[in-house]
Amino acid sequence: MKRTLIVLAAALLSTAASAKDFLNVSYDPTRELYKDVNTVFAADWKAKTGETLDIKTSHGGSGKQARAVIDGLSADVVTLALAYDIDSIAEKAALLPKDWQKRLPENSSPYTSTIVFLVRKGNPKGIKDWGDLIKPGVKVITPNPKTSGGARWNYLAAWGWALKQPGGSEATAKDYVTKLFANVPVLDTGARGSTTTFVQRGIGDVLLAWENEAFLSINELGPDKFDIVAPSVSILAEPPVALVDKNVDKHGTRKAAEAYLNFLYGPQGQALAAKHYYRPRKPELAAAADVARFPKLPLFTLESVFGSWAKAQSTHFSDGGVFDQITGASK
Amino acid sequence: MSRLTLPSRTLISLLAAASFAPLAHAQTATSDKQRVEELEQRLLILERKLEIQTEEAATKAKEAPVVTASDKGFSLKNAKGDYEIKFSALAQIDHRAFLDDDGAFRDGFVTRRLRPTIQGSAGKLVAFRFTPEFAGANGVGDGGATSAIVDAYFDLKFDPRASLRIGKQKGPIGLERLQSGGSIELIERGFPTELVPNRDLGVALFGEFANSTINYTIGVFNGTADGRDVSTADDGLKEYEGRVFFEPFKNDFGALKGLGFGIAGSTGAKDGNGNNLIARYRTPGQNTFFTYDATVLASGKHSRYVPQAYYYYNSLGLLAEYAVSEQDLTRAGTERTIKNDAYSVTASYVLTGEDASFKGIKPSAPYAIGTDGWGAVELVARIGALSIDSAAFEGTTAGATANRFANPATQAKKAESYGVGVNWLLTQNAKLSTDFNFTQFDGGAATGDRRDEKAVFTRLTIQY
Repeated sequence: MKRTLIVLAAALLSTAASAKDFLNVSYDPTRELYKDVNTVFAADWKAKTGETLDIKTSHGGSGKQARAVIDGLSADVVTLALAYDIDSIAEKAALLPKDWQKRLPENSSPYTSTIVFLVRKGNPKGIKDWGDLIKPGVKVITPNPKTSGGARWNYLAAWGWALKQPGGSEATAKDYVTKLFANVPVLDTGARGSTTTFVQRGIGDVLLAWENEAFLSINELGPDKFDIVAPSVSILAEPPVALVDKNVDKHGTRKAAEAYLNFLYGPQGQALAAKHYYRPRKPELAAAADVARFPKLPLFTLESVFGSWAKAQSTHFSDGGVFDQITGASK
Repeated sequence: MSRLTLPSRTLISLLAAASFAPLAHAQTATSDKQRVEELEQRLLILERKLEIQTEEAATKAKEAPVVTASDKGFSLKNAKGDYEIKFSALAQIDHRAFLDDDGAFRDGFVTRRLRPTIQGSAGKLVAFRFTPEFAGANGVGDGGATSAIVDAYFDLKFDPRASLRIGKQKGPIGLERLQSGGSIELIERGFPTELVPNRDLGVALFGEFANSTINYTIGVFNGTADGRDVSTADDGLKEYEGRVFFEPFKNDFGALKGLGFGIAGSTGAKDGNGNNLIARYRTPGQNTFFTYDATVLASGKHSRYVPQAYYYYNSLGLLAEYAVSEQDLTRAGTERTIKNDAYSVTASYVLTGEDASFKGIKPSAPYAIGTDGWGAVELVARIGALSIDSAAFEGTTAGATANRFANPATQAKKAESYGVGVNWLLTQNAKLSTDFNFTQFDGGAATGDRRDEKAVFTRLTIQY
């Protein structure tokens, strides 16, 4: 009996000592950011609680990742490109409450980004603002908004700029975006695909890119190959984060998940975001040199122009929506 | 200008041409460079579009449902393969002839089996099989001509070591019974199959261990009469059935690779009368040679045990089993435990060199018009016997106190059979078989023994 108890106690202790699995389901351009976040947070969590977390991050197109979670990928937290994708998880699989975005500060977006232009070194086509993208002979690279979260930000940024021009209206914005997509020779399905088209295949004059992707391209291929052009105005992209209630309760990881997301708002999380070219919500918590790299440009929010993600989605990107209409017109 | 002479004009023209030539050349060069760059971009765009199309096609192909049609049937499944529906079928048309029988048995054609099967899986956990029988119950010799359900079950596949099968299914006891009707060596199964359940309704736990070298089944069923099918709970009592089978050298490549042996058994109770509770036994010619008196009742325990084995090595196949069925019966207040037993040994040899197997033979050169393929040819032979407990024939025969269970003047005490045959597997989907079974009896006639049975059966099997 005594021996049995000892064996049982040892088994319990070994279970306690083994690492607890933790899954963050994210989108493509966050690979480098969350690699660092996972390492630092796991060490911090271990020091505070004694618990070892084996944190894994899954990356892919934001919409595709959301569908995977809906279909059963057991994410403890999701860190996606669009609030719309997390809304889908809440609505279709009821894995978290529909008001999930109110649970954390800043619309549950601990960092932001924006859309900038990546042009070839010396900017041979003289591209300075959104209006230059529809000039004859300019080839614009952007993914397909029907399949890519990043592409939707590109599209909405362009639409918002057109609206803000003197005399701007829905009609002029539609006309502008129609001309813009007439200058797009290749529609990739995702942001990483478009980067490949522009950077590696040498196609096009300008890539509409996440700001962090633009910086990464320059870092990887050298500053002698590309320049970043900040347009006169762009959109404030707010990639949201959320814990997946049903999964964390099932896994017993609620506390760790809450701490993981709060970590992103803290000094270490904000510093890491800035290091990886995401704009921290609290720049004072990040390294000044990192923050100084971001070009200063006015940013408008999606809500101020389009109302909400749901409205933008149904108006522009649903089947038969504005994007379908303009790509039909541009063919 | 008019004062200039012609040579002067010519000179000026030449000078002008000479002075503008580098500029024109430079413009042409720039234009050519732009044109080349433009063409290069177009080429790159076309290449990239093709690359994207290829990637998208590959992605779609990975996600597209897979439709297959093969010698094993037709199936439709999702890309992962965990959702599948499969259509297959087994049809057997026989001709039965009995020699020297003075017309005692009916010669002619019989639709023995006509079974379409729908089977598949609904996710990794659930599998199912549904097989109706359109040949009617006549096909199995039970009388009547109605269609029936042969198999109708669901599997819950928790683990290869432990899965549940729920519904109407083969009882897990007889070795030859577990062999597919399209793969048995002779046209009809041997005597031990007459003593074990056919299909039964219930729940079975099954699985395999040790790298598939040990498999088992245990289950609880409504219970059947020896050799028969059941679809209802006639008496409310249950039968517990189980089997364990070993193939210790299955994963080796030596001479013992095809050796399998095991033991199966059942225990339970039956109470009452009727074809679902009381045994009646048939010859390989499908003629009944033993039945109990109509007033005999099942009155308690019914148990069976069946040691069994097979051995396959290259073209040679051997299958042997011995079955004992022990059942409590009563008539007019007299209770006896009747113990009947049977054995059979079947040997087969594939003349065309293919490997013999419990699951059937795959012709290496299937028959096809205009080719050298003639399919596979297999010779088969079997010996077997079924013995009735002598206690079944004891007792008085007349009046209200008659307590004899079976009449020796009409029911045989023993049947012993010798069979030979040949199977021609034209393809994996078509088999022509013919066999001859000679069966002799102890008793079963008013004087002496029941007449020997000489049955010549021929069968066309179509299966996919």
